[in-house]
Amino acid sequence: MNQSRPKLTWSLIAIVGFLTLCPVLMLFLGSFSQGLTAFGTFTLSKYAAAYTDPFLLEVSVNTLIFVLGSSLLSTGLALVLAYLNTRTDIPFKSAFTVLSIVPMMIPHLLFSVSWALLLNPSNGLLNTLLMNAFGLDEAPFNIYSLWGMVLVEGLLNMPIAYLIIAPAMASFDVALEESSRVFGAGTWRTLLRVTLPVLRPAILAAFILAIVRSLASYAVPRVLGMPGQVDVLATYLYQMVATGFTPDYGKAAALGMSILSASIALIVLYRALTAESGKYVTISGRGYRPTVIELKRARIPLFIGIGALSFLMVVLPVAVLLYTSLVPYSMVPSVRAFSLMSFRHWIEVIEDPLSLLALKNSLFLAVAGASLGVLLSAFVAYVIVKIRTRASGLLESLSFLSFSFPGIVIGIGFMWFFVQTPLYATLTALLLAYIAAYLPYGIRPLASAFVQVHAHLEESSLVCGASNLTTMRRIIVPLLIPGVVSAWILMATMFVRELTVSVVLSRPGSEVLAVQILSFADDGLWGKLSALGIIMIAISTGLVLLAMLAGRQFKSMQGGN
Amino acid sequence: MEIRIQGLTKHYVSEGKTVKALDSVDLTIPANTIFTLLGPSGCGKTTLLRCIVGLETPDDGEISIGGEVVWSKARGIAVPTEKRGLGMVFQTYAIWPHMSVFDNVAYPLQIRGERKDDIKRKVAQTLRFVQLEGVENRSATKLSGGQQQRVALARALVAEPKVILFDEPLSNLDAKLREETRKELRSFMGTLGITAVYVTHDRVEALALSDSIAVMQAGRIVEIGSPQKIYFDADHRYVADFIGRANLIAARVVGQDGELTLIESGLGPIACQQRPLPPGSEATLCIRPEFIRVGADRAGTGRNVISGDIESLEFIGEVYEARIRVGNERLLARIDPDTPVKEGDAVSFSLNPAHCLLVSA
Repeated sequence: MNQSRPKLTWSLIAIVGFLTLCPVLMLFLGSFSQGLTAFGTFTLSKYAAAYTDPFLLEVSVNTLIFVLGSSLLSTGLALVLAYLNTRTDIPFKSAFTVLSIVPMMIPHLLFSVSWALLLNPSNGLLNTLLMNAFGLDEAPFNIYSLWGMVLVEGLLNMPIAYLIIAPAMASFDVALEESSRVFGAGTWRTLLRVTLPVLRPAILAAFILAIVRSLASYAVPRVLGMPGQVDVLATYLYQMVATGFTPDYGKAAALGMSILSASIALIVLYRALTAESGKYVTISGRGYRPTVIELKRARIPLFIGIGALSFLMVVLPVAVLLYTSLVPYSMVPSVRAFSLMSFRHWIEVIEDPLSLLALKNSLFLAVAGASLGVLLSAFVAYVIVKIRTRASGLLESLSFLSFSFPGIVIGIGFMWFFVQTPLYATLTALLLAYIAAYLPYGIRPLASAFVQVHAHLEESSLVCGASNLTTMRRIIVPLLIPGVVSAWILMATMFVRELTVSVVLSRPGSEVLAVQILSFADDGLWGKLSALGIIMIAISTGLVLLAMLAGRQFKSMQGGN
Repeated sequence: MEIRIQGLTKHYVSEGKTVKALDSVDLTIPANTIFTLLGPSGCGKTTLLRCIVGLETPDDGEISIGGEVVWSKARGIAVPTEKRGLGMVFQTYAIWPHMSVFDNVAYPLQIRGERKDDIKRKVAQTLRFVQLEGVENRSATKLSGGQQQRVALARALVAEPKVILFDEPLSNLDAKLREETRKELRSFMGTLGITAVYVTHDRVEALALSDSIAVMQAGRIVEIGSPQKIYFDADHRYVADFIGRANLIAARVVGQDGELTLIESGLGPIACQQRPLPPGSEATLCIRPEFIRVGADRAGTGRNVISGDIESLEFIGEVYEARIRVGNERLLARIDPDTPVKEGDAVSFSLNPAHCLLVSA
């Protein structure tokens, strides 16, 4: 068994290395070559073309504002929410859990679309309502703008920031604050001099992760930026390779290289910061109940604010999509609108062969991709957690690298590869790219599952006389099942909604749900879009609920309570 | 500064039930003493400490420190923690991980807005006092547990508060270090002559450190006294039992004989330390294991001579611990390792009436 371990480690390094490094390498080679099908001779012309493009400056400035603005918004909101939830007497704390799970249920693409339906300047529902109510000549809001993109992206990334900041705040030793107060500092001074500085690594980590995600974000700029011709790097890159324009994969690769490097650098920084915040953990005491800060008069207004945010993030997007899928064309809710409601769009979608094909493809990718992905992740997680050699360290770095890859860039890199192979324009191409791009999502839950299987549990089974195989069957596998289930469902959810990689790699015949939804958006078919979108949300939500249910089931099975 | 507490009450609601953490506590902590609140976990000692410092808000009563009322339900006074001017050492030390040792210790002075060179001088002086020189610029959380403990102490001392509160400050140290630190703490506080309120569940710590001990149970103070009074001369069975190992035997008072009180018990008739109890009243006889002297053939008063059988003998290093059966009672005794006894031996021993304590039934 021991002899086969290095072999296992190295074959996994080969597979994971191929999946993560292949697109990077192809991107790198492609950036120095003539064109997509033939690499030709070495040339720097693509770099020259990419970096002397007069649009690049404007695009870069837009990207900077978009990325920093949305990241500030999401980190700030997350900080306030985490503080209110962990430290104050705000009512209905369960609402916070809902806020942090929502992005799992509503795909970014549909979230952006619903905001477009509400606040677009020509017939946005909210705009029209406000115009009618106040007799305005012009729409008061225009979501097709940089600030609209910042708002929507910020809201979308808030839960991620929250999930990093909230645990840090919850595990914070309250005595650190109490001692500051004993030594004469008031609440505000304590907040500024003790609480926030101690939480700084977690806050910075959340901020950087938000930057990485908004830099890679494609759905928001595509839906909200393109109509107003506000381009950021992701959409600018896409236009270079989009069919219909004149695709230039070399130029895209050249520009993609710098986005990729920036993203990798940020993730390295993120990992350093999370390691740092681990060092800030001090001696834990007996856990005296933290003093709950009484909000007093601010309690109800703050609660209403949280309620409004939950409404904006959870109820409104789904409600708008549902409403739009039922009315014949864009109209403000009224008696007439309700009398005109029908399932016309739903029927059209169900009878539309392209939508059905996309649905079928997405489901296939979700099931096959998640199954293969979890299988690979299980082996990788085992090697990372249980075999601590230099090679397994290399595997760990490799497998988490793809976390920093923007989907569009990965897509372009894979395009350079697949076009040389018979896989081009097949579902298999998408399957491989999906697994490559989302491997960390499978490895993470499985790695923590393996951590729970302490070596002593295995060893005591061996001591009791069980063989390796029996130990595997009776001890290890049962302990791993919760991790396997949550990894599978997490990956499947990601794949059902996948947009950014697909938008580059999908070709006629290999359409997926998100791409089909995007093409409805391009054609202004909002009713059909909404119907298909609700189907997508239903699948996502179903999977997430299944995951929660399964998790609870396993917990009660194992804990016996 | 003297701390006066009157009628202090605090409730918690836990799992639907109301728990009295403090049940109308009256207490005066005299100035310039080391005063210990001792009791098992959940007895309310930490809650009392946190009420004094202001981190916990009582439901009723009054607290005054040095004559100034800092909290009063009736008068509607609530001085916030940061305005009470106290020092405190936390159980977790609460060393700020983002600051150096210097910044941690300087914090109370910086908050008061003292001048930079004054701060520098005072911090250096305090660090010298706690024997922690030369680590000023180190990150405080990189220090060892014992050193962190000293940083916490230095921080509590630096602003020269009149009262310092200690919340189980030694409980995170390993046994050997705890003993050393306890001795140092005793000498530090002896030098300073300040009022210290010290919370612990460790009886040895309480006995070794305190000028005065208050033993608490279920939100009430059961007994207050010097360590010797609490150990040798407790009034309550609960206190006698908590403060050290004790043989507790049901007894009934028979009468008084000069300086002694006579009882009847499972050990036969015993002459005890005097207690003003009428004949016929129920009490508990408390004998510490170290005062049961087996084999030591000392010429006593001829009183309290008891014979029994050694049921079990356990070697624990410095002594044997023996279980001696006397009638239906079992007594725990400590026997010198060079005493020639073995299990099953019949032994006789005498009890000094001065060490036969009568406590509440």
